[in-house]
Amino acid sequence: MPNGKVVEVRNLVKSFGEFAALDNISFRVDEDEIFGLIGPNGAGKTTTLRILATLLLPTSGYVRVLGYDVVRDADKVRPLISYLAEDAGTYRNLTGYEYLSIVARVYFGSGTDAESTVEEAVKISGLGDRINDKMKTYSKGMKRRIQVARALMTKPRLAILDEPTSGLDIFHAQHVRRLIKRHVEEGGVVILSSHNMLEVEHLCSRLAFIHRGRIMIEGEPQTIKDEYGVSNLEDAFMGVIGK
Amino acid sequence: MSRLKPLVEKEVKDLLRDPRIYIGLIVPIIMLPLIGFAVSIATRSATEVAVKDLKITLLDYDGTEASRGFISVLTLIGLNVRNTSTDNLDKALEEARTLGYKALLTIPKGFEKDLLGFGRVRVEVYAIMESVGIGSVGAYSAIDGALKTYSDILSSTLISKIDPRVDPDVIREPLNVTRYTMIKDRVIEVPPQALFGQLMLGYSFMVPMVLLILAITVTQIAATATAIENEEKTLETLLTFPVTRYDILMAKLLGSSIVAILGGILFTAGFLLYFEGLFSMPGLEIGVGSVFQTLPPPPLETYVVLALSLIISILFITSLGVVIGALSSDVRMSGSLLGIVIVPILIPSMLIMYGDLRTLPEALQIFVYALPTSYPMIMAKEMITSTMPIEVLYGIPYSAALTLIVVYATSKLLAPEKLLTLQYKLRLRRMKRKQAKELE
Repeated sequence: MPNGKVVEVRNLVKSFGEFAALDNISFRVDEDEIFGLIGPNGAGKTTTLRILATLLLPTSGYVRVLGYDVVRDADKVRPLISYLAEDAGTYRNLTGYEYLSIVARVYFGSGTDAESTVEEAVKISGLGDRINDKMKTYSKGMKRRIQVARALMTKPRLAILDEPTSGLDIFHAQHVRRLIKRHVEEGGVVILSSHNMLEVEHLCSRLAFIHRGRIMIEGEPQTIKDEYGVSNLEDAFMGVIGK
Repeated sequence: MSRLKPLVEKEVKDLLRDPRIYIGLIVPIIMLPLIGFAVSIATRSATEVAVKDLKITLLDYDGTEASRGFISVLTLIGLNVRNTSTDNLDKALEEARTLGYKALLTIPKGFEKDLLGFGRVRVEVYAIMESVGIGSVGAYSAIDGALKTYSDILSSTLISKIDPRVDPDVIREPLNVTRYTMIKDRVIEVPPQALFGQLMLGYSFMVPMVLLILAITVTQIAATATAIENEEKTLETLLTFPVTRYDILMAKLLGSSIVAILGGILFTAGFLLYFEGLFSMPGLEIGVGSVFQTLPPPPLETYVVLALSLIISILFITSLGVVIGALSSDVRMSGSLLGIVIVPILIPSMLIMYGDLRTLPEALQIFVYALPTSYPMIMAKEMITSTMPIEVLYGIPYSAALTLIVVYATSKLLAPEKLLTLQYKLRLRRMKRKQAKELE
C-alpha cells in the first residue's frame, strides 16, 4: 500500500446525464483513520461512497482503495471492503442469524472462520435471542444494528458506512460509535458520512465538508473549527458554505 | 461454487417463506382438487338425486295389455310411473308440472294393435324442465335409457316371433365393428376418437398447460425475488459482496428455478387430483391413464431432449424475470411489467395446445419457433405419438445460444452502474409522465 494511503481520490467527477453529482473532488484517507464526509442532502456523499464501494463508475478521475483501482480492479477491492448503505434493507424472511451466516460464508466459505465471524457478529449486534427471529419482525433500529454487525464482522480493511447511526436511538448510536472506534483500533479504516455534526466531531480523526458535489474544506475537526473561529462543526459548515 | 451455495440458500429460503410466493405455490394444490371434487360431487349427487326420485306420469290412450306391460317394464327399470287423472294432454301436462314430475309419456291409441302388426309406434315424451342443472340431463338420459331398454325388449320379442332361430342382436346390428388404432409401430384396441379425446384432454392439453404454468411461475418468482431486493434495498449491499455478477445472477436463476419447479410439481399434483376428481364422474370413469397404459412408452432420447429443452427454457425465462425485477422499484411494478413477458409465452402455448403448428401461417410459426419456451411444449405434445420432432432438434441449439445471450446480457445489467442509472432514468420518465398528466 503506497504511503499508508487506504483511499486516494483524485479529480473525481460523476455525472448523471447533465447533472454533475461530483465535480472534481480529491481527498485521501490514511491508515488508522476515521474519515467523515459531511454535507447536506444531495451534496454527493452517497455518490462518493458508492464509487468507493465499486457500485458506481466515475465519469472521470481516479479512485484507488488500498492501491487498487475501483474500476479496473473492482474484484480485488470488494473482498477488502464492506459497505453499509444509508437505507440498507434486510431479507424479511430470513432470521438475523441466517443472514449473518450466509454473508460470513460468502466471505469465508463454510469453515470455522465463518462460524467465529457469525458468533462475533451476534455479539456486535447486541440482539440477544432476537437474532433467531425473522428480520421482518425487527424494528428499524434492530435492522440497522444487524447491518452494522454485517458490515464490521468481516473485519474489512476499509469499512464504508453511509449514515451508520441513522434510525438508532441514543444508546444504540453510542454502541455503534464504540464499534466503529474498536474497528479502527483493531487495524481497520473507516470512511463514513453523517448529518450528525456532534457525532462526526467526536468520532472522526479527519473530515471533509462536501457541498453541491465539491469538497469545500478538508482537515481535522479542531483545525477546521479554529480556522473559522467557531466552537462547533455546524457553525464551521455554515461558515464554509458562506451562510 | 462455495460462494454460490450460500447465495442460492438465501434465495430459496427467502422465497419459500414469502407469503407472496408460497401462497401462489400452495393455492393450486388445494384449489384444483377442491374444484374437481366439488364439480364431481355436485354432478354426481345431482344426477343421483334426479335419477333416484325420477317420477314420470303417463297418459295411456290405449289401455291394453301391451300398454300396461310397457308401464310394468318402466317400473321394473326403476322409474316411478303414475297414470294421470285426466285424458286431456294440456291438463295432464299442467298436473305433471304442478306435482313435480320430470316427464309425461303418452301411449297412443292403437299401441297394441300396431305392435302386433309389426308397425312402428309413436310414443311422445314431454320433458318438464324446472331447472337447467346437470341433474336434469341425467334424469332425461335415464328416461331415454329406459325407453331404449323397452324398445330392445320389444324388438327381440318381435324378431323371435318372426324366426326363433335368429339372434335378434344380429338383425339389429349386422355389422360388428371393432376399432383399432395404430400409433408408431403398435396397434391398440382403442377407437381413434376415444384416443384423440383422451389425448386431447389429458396429454396434449394438460402437459403444455403444466409447462405454461411452470414458465409463468418461474418468471414471476424470478421477477418478484429481484424486485423484492430493490424494494427492500438489499440488492445494493449484495452487489458489494466479493462475488461475481454471474454468481449473483446464477443464485437468482437457480433459487427461482428450484422454487418454481417445486411450484410446478405442486401444480401438476393439483391438476392430476383435479382430473382424478373429474374422471370419477359417472360415464367418465375410464381415466387418461388407462389409455396411456396401452400406448408404447416414448423412447428414452425424447425424455432427454424434453429435459434439455426444459432446462434451457427455464434459464431463459428466469433471466427475463430477473431483468424485469431488476428494473422494477417494487413488487407491484414488476407484476405490471410481467405481462410484457407472459403474453408472448402465453400465445405460442395456446397455439401449441390447440393447433397443429405445421398448418399455421408462416409468420405465426416463426413467432412460436423463435421462443425457447415453445420447444418443451412441442416436445411434450409430440413425444407420445410420434418420433422426435425435427424442429426441436434444430430449436435446442438455437434456444441455447439465445439463452446464453440473454443470461450474458442480464449479468451485464446487474452491474450496479447500469442498474442504478437505468432505474434512475425509468423513475425520471415516470415522474415526467406524472407531471404531464397533472398539467393536463
